[in-house]
Amino acid sequence: MSVLSERAVKSPKLFVWLPALLSMLVILMVVIPTVSPIVAKYLHPLTIDVDPENMLFEDDPERVFHRQQKQVFDINDLIIVGVVNKQDENGVFNIDSLSNIYDLTEFAKNIQWPSKDDAQTVEGVIAVDLISPSTVDNISQGDPGTVKFDWLMSAAPTTDEEALAVREKARNQPLLNGSLLSEDGQALALYIPITSKTISYRITSILQERIDSYAGDDEFYISGLPVAQDTFGVEMFIQMGITTPIAMTLIFLLLWYFFGNVRLIISPLLVAMASVTLTIGLLVISGNNIHIMSSMIPIFIMPIAILDAIHILSEFYDKYPDFKDRKKTIKHVMRELSKPMLFTTITTAVGFFSLNLTPLPPIQVFGTFIGLGVIIAWFFTITFIPAYILLMPESNFSDFGIKKEVAQEDKKINLFARVLGATGAWSHRHAKAVLIITTLILGGSIYGASKIEANDNIVKWFEEGHKIRIADKALNEMFAGTYMSYLSLRSDETEQSYEDFVSETEVKLSNHDSSMLGSLAEGINELALQAQTSEQLMNLLVEKLELQTEDESLDDYLALEKELLILGPMSQVFKDPQVLNYIAGLQSYLLETGYVGKSNSVVEIVKTVHRELFSGDENEYRIPATATAVAQTLITFQNSHRPHDLWRFVTPDYLQANVWLQLKSGDNQDMIKLESAVADYFVNNPAPRELQHQWFGLNHINVTWQEQIVIGMATALAGSFVVVLLMMVFLFRSLLWALLAMIPLSFSIAVLYGIIGFMGKDYDAPIAILSALILGLTVDYAIHFLSRTRVLYKEFQNWPDTIVAVYGEPARAISRNVIIMGVGFLPLLLAPLVPYKDVGMFISSILVFAGVATLIILPALISLLQGFLFKTEGNETEINLKTEVN
Amino acid sequence: MKNLATILTSLSFTLVAMQYANNAEAIEVQEIVKQTNHNILYQGDDGKTKIDMRIIDSQGRERTRQLTMLRKNLDDDDGLQKYYLYFSKPADINKMVFMAWKNVNQDDDRWLYLPALDLVRRIAASDERTSFVGSHFFYEDVSGRNIDEDVHELIEETDEHYVVKSVPVDASSVEFEYYINWVDKQTFLPIKAEYYNQQERVYRTYSVLKVEVIEGYHTIVQSQMEDTLTGAKTILDFSEIDYDIDIPENIFSERYLRRAPRKYLR
Repeated sequence: MSVLSERAVKSPKLFVWLPALLSMLVILMVVIPTVSPIVAKYLHPLTIDVDPENMLFEDDPERVFHRQQKQVFDINDLIIVGVVNKQDENGVFNIDSLSNIYDLTEFAKNIQWPSKDDAQTVEGVIAVDLISPSTVDNISQGDPGTVKFDWLMSAAPTTDEEALAVREKARNQPLLNGSLLSEDGQALALYIPITSKTISYRITSILQERIDSYAGDDEFYISGLPVAQDTFGVEMFIQMGITTPIAMTLIFLLLWYFFGNVRLIISPLLVAMASVTLTIGLLVISGNNIHIMSSMIPIFIMPIAILDAIHILSEFYDKYPDFKDRKKTIKHVMRELSKPMLFTTITTAVGFFSLNLTPLPPIQVFGTFIGLGVIIAWFFTITFIPAYILLMPESNFSDFGIKKEVAQEDKKINLFARVLGATGAWSHRHAKAVLIITTLILGGSIYGASKIEANDNIVKWFEEGHKIRIADKALNEMFAGTYMSYLSLRSDETEQSYEDFVSETEVKLSNHDSSMLGSLAEGINELALQAQTSEQLMNLLVEKLELQTEDESLDDYLALEKELLILGPMSQVFKDPQVLNYIAGLQSYLLETGYVGKSNSVVEIVKTVHRELFSGDENEYRIPATATAVAQTLITFQNSHRPHDLWRFVTPDYLQANVWLQLKSGDNQDMIKLESAVADYFVNNPAPRELQHQWFGLNHINVTWQEQIVIGMATALAGSFVVVLLMMVFLFRSLLWALLAMIPLSFSIAVLYGIIGFMGKDYDAPIAILSALILGLTVDYAIHFLSRTRVLYKEFQNWPDTIVAVYGEPARAISRNVIIMGVGFLPLLLAPLVPYKDVGMFISSILVFAGVATLIILPALISLLQGFLFKTEGNETEINLKTEVN
Repeated sequence: MKNLATILTSLSFTLVAMQYANNAEAIEVQEIVKQTNHNILYQGDDGKTKIDMRIIDSQGRERTRQLTMLRKNLDDDDGLQKYYLYFSKPADINKMVFMAWKNVNQDDDRWLYLPALDLVRRIAASDERTSFVGSHFFYEDVSGRNIDEDVHELIEETDEHYVVKSVPVDASSVEFEYYINWVDKQTFLPIKAEYYNQQERVYRTYSVLKVEVIEGYHTIVQSQMEDTLTGAKTILDFSEIDYDIDIPENIFSERYLRRAPRKYLR
């Protein structure tokens, strides 16, 4: 019996109150700084973090690049509000709908509040960047020969004609068509940029309230990855609050069914609650945020905490009738169980600690704290439960315990015990058949597992009917896509030195066919001193040419000037028409891949302005021939209401560019395929000038950590497998027994992955971390089963008798566990959040697999291997065994 | 046409005067605003200045433009005016010209010459509150906002300044709710103007950073327009300023867009 349990038995009052006191303490340490900002300076308040960016380390290169590029191109996270009207034949292009949209835009522009951290800055909607019919420019033809910049919809329309004109204007703007205006021309979408994605839920709620006040047939859909993330964060807490108590209640009912004594069975639930409270408390106090991953800690700790307690209760229940004294019984029980419980705890903890091998901070935190929680649960189990039992009056147990005599006389009375006993015997008799079936299942599972695809999409973490899913589906059907991805392009070209440029230009001029240009070579060194840059020198040369040709006709002069300008320095990369046409080619290729709904770049701006400069002629929708023409097209664009929109696509030095892609799917798999298709394009189509490409945006971030999670989880699983195996070798002092202990968990993992593969279910983050849970939980059953087998074997000295004994109390404890846990986690299936459903379903099924594997495969294997397994138990045993087998 | 314009002008003045007929102070406001408008835009018969424009975005990235501006007044009561803006830097917009005829009671006429496309285009001026070549100044800030488009009120008078609040007559045509202008009593030049949005928050600030006396005229030689919310701003430096240089009116015509009047630009 462990020292701790003995202590607890000696001073039960202290150990009964300990979990409660510790829980209260951490609750205070979390609540006080959360509600009082003064204390928050010294203690960490409760903070929630649903940002998938935080799956990566702060200094992860991909993340650093993502943030830096977002800043460079001034890109913010977007809330997308789609507006649809199915009743009107013109969709939303009627007076009422557009008035609503106008109102919603004006309303959204003003959603701001002062930042909590810094009174100088405001949080909320970034009004200047909002994309809506009333906030974007329309470049078009005014009076004949006139280019016009005006708001697409300067005010809510008052006539049907005005309403329809909005659609025609939007359709004519390639940057807006498909993005602002739906592809079928019936709906509109507002793109609302926000200062931080962590406020999307708050802003969405404010918008929704306004939307609810509108009359009419308009349907509003709110979507975008930030909304999905933030909504998940909010709902996850609601779910934690709803499903955890339901699971607790169900577990309580099952315990009650098995053990009957209400007062007694409260104890495992108290252990679970205290363990969860303490773990989450420590997580917050140590300064960690509650992330999507850590929100699942309670659901993981609960079964583990209850698991050990059930072993004690089960054993106590079965043994109490023998002693009729709680103190004696509990001492006996703790003696029997303390070693396997210690080992199961360590192995489970190791399984979770191994998650630290994953290079993803939230998963590391998750693993560390569950590992810690497991140890806390173990401590409470071996101290609180004995102490609790001792403090109960003996009279409470008068009718307690298994009716042993009856059970043995008439097995019909205890169906449960009877079935279990038969299982052991059956497995023993049909050992070979069991093994063949196991091998077949294993083979099938491995095949299934090979079909697993790693994929994730936070929108799919919501159920089909959830409004986020509905909005996502509706908007992606009508518009170019709600998932924003960005392809950053830059050139690492080195610039020619000024001196080289001067001497090269001098040579070119002196060799020029035109004597007028040739004469410019003479004074070039003087001009070169006056100018400081190549561009400046060209300006001075042009001016000089102008002076020299004052007598010539304007056309002659312009022809000469053109010749001169050809000699100019290489243009900035992203003003170079060749480069722009290359990007245009890339963009049409992107559409062909099928993953991209639409892409926008500086190309669309140049082409659109060029077209409008040339009277709106569709043939002029093209990149002009020279870099200076591109530059002048772009400066024309900057005379609009929103010149800053240009800097979303190029940097002011024109050395970096950004292609904004709208994807219809948020699946990581689609992003991975797109990335590889783009990589192919750059290989197969060399760029006209040196170009580098790199992705950023949330889709790419998600792909990055997904890749790390797959490799990381494999490492973690392999690592903990080895550690657990070594521990088993230490526990059993035998490699063979150790390997045996690893069988049920290996089988369970294989079957789980096999099922996931056959179901076509994506291997996402929640599924990935489940494998750590399998390892931790399933080895428990094997340890209990095998260590009890070995103890009982010493008593009986032969396997057939041992097996009968093992299928008594020990097997009952295991199967009670399986049933209580398996059923207890089914309420999670009611959650509208898919990861909770997955966890519920997989915990339940894992426990069943592991229980079955332990109770059916292990006895069969022992039967077949008994010659080797019991050899070490002494010569006497061996002889006995041989006679038994014969 | 010109007669009609004059009638309309005097009519609107009369209306304003009638509105404030029994309020001596209000008429004085009108005088302040008129004088300020004159001192910013109409000093001398004509003028030339080189402008160095620095556009600094919220990330501190700077873009520069250099241009020369020619201006000619065409009537004596601060009405019709013509502008010729010739760009020389950066190199790829060298020789680009922006020309404007500022009309009093109708939209201005605006032209853009893009040498690389050998294209002269008229730019519709229905909305003058669009960016001037990508800077934080609006076209209207460069050519001046018609003083009758706002209702002015003297809200404070200190030893040095008149503080004037201006509310637009047609609120739907502008993005601001109102603006407040600090006018120097000595020079009748603005010191600062703050533009307020619907939430009564300053979002745009104009500041005069430097004033010099040139040829007897108090002249702004450095000014700035800041996007108050993001910290982005545009700074204008005026140099080589010259008044009354007898620029012929025909310079301000489409003919001179393709071949710049070098003589007056130098």
